[in-house]
Amino acid sequence: MSLSRVIATTWRENLLFSVLVELTYRCNLDCFFCYNDLALRGEPLSREQYFRLFADLREMEVMNLSLSGGEPLAHPDFLALGARARELGFVVRIKSNGHALRGELARRIRDEIDPFLIETSLHGSTAATHDRQTRVPGSFDRLLANLAEMRQLGLRVKINSTLTAWNEGEIEGMFALADALGIPLQVDPEVTPRDDGDREPLQVAPSREGVLRLFRLQFERGRAAAGETAEVARGGDDGTMPAPVHKHCGAGSSGIAVDPYGNVYPCVQWRRPVGNLHRQDIREIWLRSAGLAEARELTGRVKETMDAQGPGSHLLNFCPGSAATHTGSPLEIYPAAAQRRELLKQVIGEEARRPLLPVLR
Amino acid sequence: MSSVTLSTVLRRRSDVRYRLIEGEAVVLRQSASEVLVLNEVGASVLDLADGERSVAEWIEALRGELEVDAETLARDVLTFAGELEDAGMLEVVAP
Repeated sequence: MSLSRVIATTWRENLLFSVLVELTYRCNLDCFFCYNDLALRGEPLSREQYFRLFADLREMEVMNLSLSGGEPLAHPDFLALGARARELGFVVRIKSNGHALRGELARRIRDEIDPFLIETSLHGSTAATHDRQTRVPGSFDRLLANLAEMRQLGLRVKINSTLTAWNEGEIEGMFALADALGIPLQVDPEVTPRDDGDREPLQVAPSREGVLRLFRLQFERGRAAAGETAEVARGGDDGTMPAPVHKHCGAGSSGIAVDPYGNVYPCVQWRRPVGNLHRQDIREIWLRSAGLAEARELTGRVKETMDAQGPGSHLLNFCPGSAATHTGSPLEIYPAAAQRRELLKQVIGEEARRPLLPVLR
Repeated sequence: MSSVTLSTVLRRRSDVRYRLIEGEAVVLRQSASEVLVLNEVGASVLDLADGERSVAEWIEALRGELEVDAETLARDVLTFAGELEDAGMLEVVAP
């Protein structure tokens, strides 16, 4: 029995499995390409509403609960919410910039929440590049110190990074930093517009050469890791790629995202509200939302669209949410996806021409 | 070799998380980042491992649910409990 088959079942049967909760849009950094819609307003969910949501999710057999933001640690009830999530037996992930993850707070997170994984963000291999992105001087040095401290505390940590025009020349250095810390690094080759459609972040989108360099490096590292598959795709929250089903992804079928004001979305990247927790509980939204039903139907149509692309369509790593933000349609192939397929085909072609045995001189 | 007997009391380790999906249990052992998927009977055993009931009591609880002779059930449950202990999913509760 495999996990991928279970995940496929959750997609097919619409069984909620993973939920990402954006607790707050407050943040102690000021990243240039932050995708949050900081102008969004509403009534924040109360601690009691979160407790009720978590209890409902537990009854629905949801397994993965990601606490995100903004900076989730900036929520005044973060520790209490995390502890409740642990008590209810969720696999808890924390998506944090890492700036505050040190000392007493880091210890309390370990002892009171016991997260499965803490995902942090690195934006360069030098202070100049990282701090340029975060717009907080000293954030690079502090992040490196915090990462080392988290490792010492026994916390499971991962580093996420987005390839940009600013850091594409430092990508080798970023992997070297992560390797030295003994922490896995996952690089997303795509800068996305903000959740409100603002395209300003695209000003720092990586160059074609930068993306190509990243893919080559990832293949090279994959080879060096003795047969491990190079990680060039965006992974799901659980890091698995489900077995084929009639849907392209689990957006709205096995996963949802919730913003700080109770709006529910099919996915963190697909900002199409399908309900609000101030008006309905999550069960009602899950079972009766017309918007969710439509999202599920759309993921089926995305699958058909991808199938029609023929062999190599998986190299698009197509995201309906990104497509909707880029083009207004979750079905339309957007430039970053098309470029990804083209460059991956090129790198795969280069790999195929590599000699199988080392050349002896 | 597992030392699990009928009188042993086991519980799920504190880093084990699991959920029941369509009759199967998806089990994650956080410290090892290992995932197991157990069938319906395996899921029932995991549910019974509450640190209170002995393996003999598990077998009694399962007897009503499964069409299998008592001897086979006892042997299989003991073996499976030992395997889960070896896999780090369960731990023995001191008497």
